[in-house]
Formats: sequence, C-alpha cells, structure tokens
Amino acid sequence: MKNSFDEKILEEANDWLNANQKIVLATVIQTWGSSPRQVGSRMIVNEKGDFSGSVSGGCVESAVVRECIDLIKDNKLCKKIEFKVSNESAWEVGLACGGEIEVYLEQIN
Amino acid sequence: MKHSQLKEIIKKKASKIEFAIVTNLENGLSEIYEPGKSLSKEFEIHKEQIDNFFKLKKNGVIESTEIFVETYIRPIKVIIVGAVHIAQYLVDFAKSLNFEISIIDPRGYFASEQRFPDMKIINKWPDEAFKEIETNENSALIALTHDPKIDDPALQHALNKKFYYIGALGSKKTHENRCQRLKEAGFDNEQINSIHGPIGIKLGGRSAPEIALSIIAQLVSETYKK
Repeated sequence: MKNSFDEKILEEANDWLNANQKIVLATVIQTWGSSPRQVGSRMIVNEKGDFSGSVSGGCVESAVVRECIDLIKDNKLCKKIEFKVSNESAWEVGLACGGEIEVYLEQIN
Repeated sequence: MKHSQLKEIIKKKASKIEFAIVTNLENGLSEIYEPGKSLSKEFEIHKEQIDNFFKLKKNGVIESTEIFVETYIRPIKVIIVGAVHIAQYLVDFAKSLNFEISIIDPRGYFASEQRFPDMKIINKWPDEAFKEIETNENSALIALTHDPKIDDPALQHALNKKFYYIGALGSKKTHENRCQRLKEAGFDNEQINSIHGPIGIKLGGRSAPEIALSIIAQLVSETYKK
C-alpha cells in the first residue's frame, strides 16, 4: 500500500529531462515468488548511467542500468527484461531472494 | 512515453486526482486514464479490468494481455481523535503509508502545531470538526482520548457514516462502558461490535510507540480486507 502520490521519481525524471538528459524509465511490471520491490516500483537512468530509484534490493540495478544505456544507444522505444533466480556458481545477475521480476524499460522523449 | 505525457502525470499527481497510467508493453503506447472517463479505442476494451485494478488497489499486467496498469489511488482518510502522545507516533508511521491524517482535539493545549508540525489539526469538538472533513465508508477513525465527552460523538459519527475502520483506545472495562452508552444511544449490536476495542493487534508492548504500531498494523490489515 504505497503512496504513489508522494513518490518523486517521475518528478526527478522531469528535472533530468529539463536538463537535456536522455532518460529511460524502468518499471517493475510483474513479480513471481518473493521479490524485494513491488509492482510499480521505478528507477530512472540517463545516458551516462546515473540512476535514481530502485527496482530490486540492489540485486539487478547494475544490469538494468546497462540495458537502459543500450536502449538509448540503439534508439529503441521500449523493451521488457526478465530477471530470474541467480545461479550462485555463475557470475550472472539474479535475485538472491529467489524471486523473479519483469522490468519494462521505456525512453522518455 | 512522451515528455508531455510525463508532465501531465506530474500535474495530476500534484492535484491528487485519482488516475492510472495504462501502457501497451508491446508498442510502448501509453495513456492516462481517470476512472469514469473514456479511453482511446485501443485501451477501451480493457476498461473493466482497469477499473478492477482500482478496486483492488493494485498495479499489474492485465491477464493474457500486454497491458500494464499503474494506479494512483488517493490516500485513505484517517481521523484521529485526541492529540495525545500515541497520536504523535501514529502520524510518523502513517507518513510512509497511504493514509492522510486529520487530528481532532478540542483541547488546544494538546493539539498544538508545535507537537504536530505540518499536520491538519482541528481544535473543535467532534460534531463541529466533522463538518470540515468529508468522510464516508472509505474513512477510518482512531479514538484515543478515552474521554466519553470527546470520543463518543466521534464514534457515533463514524458508525453513522459506516467507516470501514473504527478503533477506540481504552481497557476492556472502559470499552464495555462505551458499548453500553452506544447501545443506549440507539446503535445495534452489529454496529457496536464493528468497533475495534480495545484498539490494536496484540503485540504485548505498552509504550506509546508500541501501541501506535499495534494500531497502525490493525488499520493496514483492515484496509486490505475492505
């Protein structure tokens, strides 16, 4: 039961855009099992990789930042990415909590 | 999303209008929806499901579609009667939840701005104070004075307006006496039993912040049962 009205991430995105930065908005759209942030959680990323907000408890943010930079580079409008349970023997990004999340990336232009 | 749409969303947020952002995840098209208003053809066919997300106070993808709905739902009005110590902690807890608090206390020395900065405080008796607050079955009441002169009129108002949550502080004995008074005032058993008294879930703690926590926990739980 978050108070969406009081969250300021979209206002921050607007400030970044007004400062002529390219912005990708990342939103958690689906979760399965236990996941640290609920559906609707957001982060914003600019072309340099600066970010604000969160879509997990720090587990996948770095991968989301990379994907967002690529989206800007490829000049694509939107993309969906899924993150699953991490395999501890591999150096891959995943959710240590055992959940799965799907994140939607969209450029604001 | 277009920058112009983002600005529109920010404007809606600032004026606290309930709305949803509806997004087609395949082609990136999105639209702002206000309950009761119409949508473009592409999204109109999903109107019923979108309204359902409002009802469930949820965000999510509509089943077997690629349509994502993010709802902006106005905070629930919570009226606290009694600007007492526990209320100070309740205000703190409520800040991070979707509750909008108003405090009623006719005793000016309790309901001071210094004790409750940035808070809507009404220094009036409940009957007068409720004329200034619009309430309905989506409102909640937390009565904390355990003084019948102040609590009872507020409880009666909440029962008449069918608040979804009514809680009253006080021991079992205090609550029994309160129930008796409400009965004499003409309220039936079902109405009286809907009052959570003694207020709060059982945590075991007795300090003011612990009591506030037990109250807010009960309020959150009842909000999801709504």
